[in-house]
Amino acid sequence: MTFINYVAREINCKVVYYGPGLGGKTTNLQHLYEITNAENKGKLISLATETERTLFFDFLPIDLGQIRGLRTRFHLYTVPGQVFYDASRKLILRGVDGVVFVADSQEERLDANLESISNLNQNLKEHGFDLGKIPYVLQLNKRDLPNAMPVEQLKRLLLVKGEPVFEAVAPKGIGVVDTLKGVARQVLVELRKSA
Amino acid sequence: MINPSNIFLHEAEYLRLKSILVMTQRDLRADLVLLIDRSGQQIAFEGPAHGIDMTALSSLAAANIAATDGLARLIGEPEFSILYHQGKRRSIHISDVAKRFSLVVVFDDSVALGMVRLRVKRATAYLEEILRGFLRKAESAGSASKATSGSSSSLYFTDEDIDKLFSFLKPGS
Repeated sequence: MTFINYVAREINCKVVYYGPGLGGKTTNLQHLYEITNAENKGKLISLATETERTLFFDFLPIDLGQIRGLRTRFHLYTVPGQVFYDASRKLILRGVDGVVFVADSQEERLDANLESISNLNQNLKEHGFDLGKIPYVLQLNKRDLPNAMPVEQLKRLLLVKGEPVFEAVAPKGIGVVDTLKGVARQVLVELRKSA
Repeated sequence: MINPSNIFLHEAEYLRLKSILVMTQRDLRADLVLLIDRSGQQIAFEGPAHGIDMTALSSLAAANIAATDGLARLIGEPEFSILYHQGKRRSIHISDVAKRFSLVVVFDDSVALGMVRLRVKRATAYLEEILRGFLRKAESAGSASKATSGSSSSLYFTDEDIDKLFSFLKPGS
C-alpha cells in the first residue's frame, strides 16, 4: 500500500526482499544501511535469533530523494527465509508495493529458490496480489562462488515474467543498489499509473 | 492498478484526524498518540514523543498486530482487538481502528489504564467515522486518487524524474 501524504509532501512505499534462507536478503539491507547518508536512513531493525538468522523481519527505511517536491521514502523489509517460518513471511507481505526475489546462485540451492518463488506466489495470492502484475525484480546473488550456476540457466529456471535481473555479490555491495533502483522504478511507475 | 488500497492523504482529512489525536493526547497527557495503517505506515501523530523513533515504532507495532492476529486465528478467535504492553515507566496500548488502521498510545505510569481505554474508545469512534468516510469516497470514485483529486496531479512525474532519485548514497559508494 503506497501512502501519499500531501501534507508532509511524502510518498511512502513498502518493498519486501523475499527468497530462500541464507540467500543474502539481510546482507542486502545491511549494505544499503552502510552506504546510505545518515540523514537519508532510519534505524536498521533486525528481529533475529541468537545465531543471527532472521526470525521475523529486518526493516530499513530509506529516503531516496525528492520527486517533483515529494520526498520518496521506501520501507525495506526482509522475510525469514527458513521454510518453517511461513506464517511470519505471510504477515510481512501485508500492504507490499514491490518485491525483490534474492536467489542463491549456488547449484545446490536451486530447489530452495524454486520452492521459495512458489511460496511467494501463494502468499501474495492470499493478500490479493498477483505475482504476474506486482512490481518485481530478480537478484541472482552469490555470483562470486565457484558453484554458482550460469546466469542464462538461472534465468531460464527462475524468471517469472521477464522481470529485470540483477547479478549481485551482496557482502561486497555488487548489484545491491541496482536491484533497489530496479524495484523502486517499477513501484513508482505503477504509482504514476494509479494516480 | 496493482494496489487498489493506496492512500492519498490531503490536508482536510489530515486536519480532522489530527484534531482527534490532539484531543486524546491532551486528555491522557500521553507521550505519543500515533495513527498507523496495518502495513506499518505512519499516518499522523501527536505528542512530545521524547525521542521515540516513530518510523521504527510504526513498523514494529504493525508487525506486532499482524503476529497477534495470526495467534488469534490459530486459537479460533477472529482477532485480539487490543494489545497492551506494560513497562516499568512507559506502556503501549495498541487498538484496532476500522480494521485497516491502528491507534498506538504511549503513556507513562501516571496514567491509569482504564482512562486510556476510555479515551481510546472515544477517539476510535471519531477516527472510524472519518476514515470510513474517506475510504468510501475513494471507493465510490473508483480509485483513491480520483476521490481526492486536486493535488494528485502532482504525482505526474517522468522517467527522468525517477532517474534523478537515489541521492541517498554516501559520496564514493
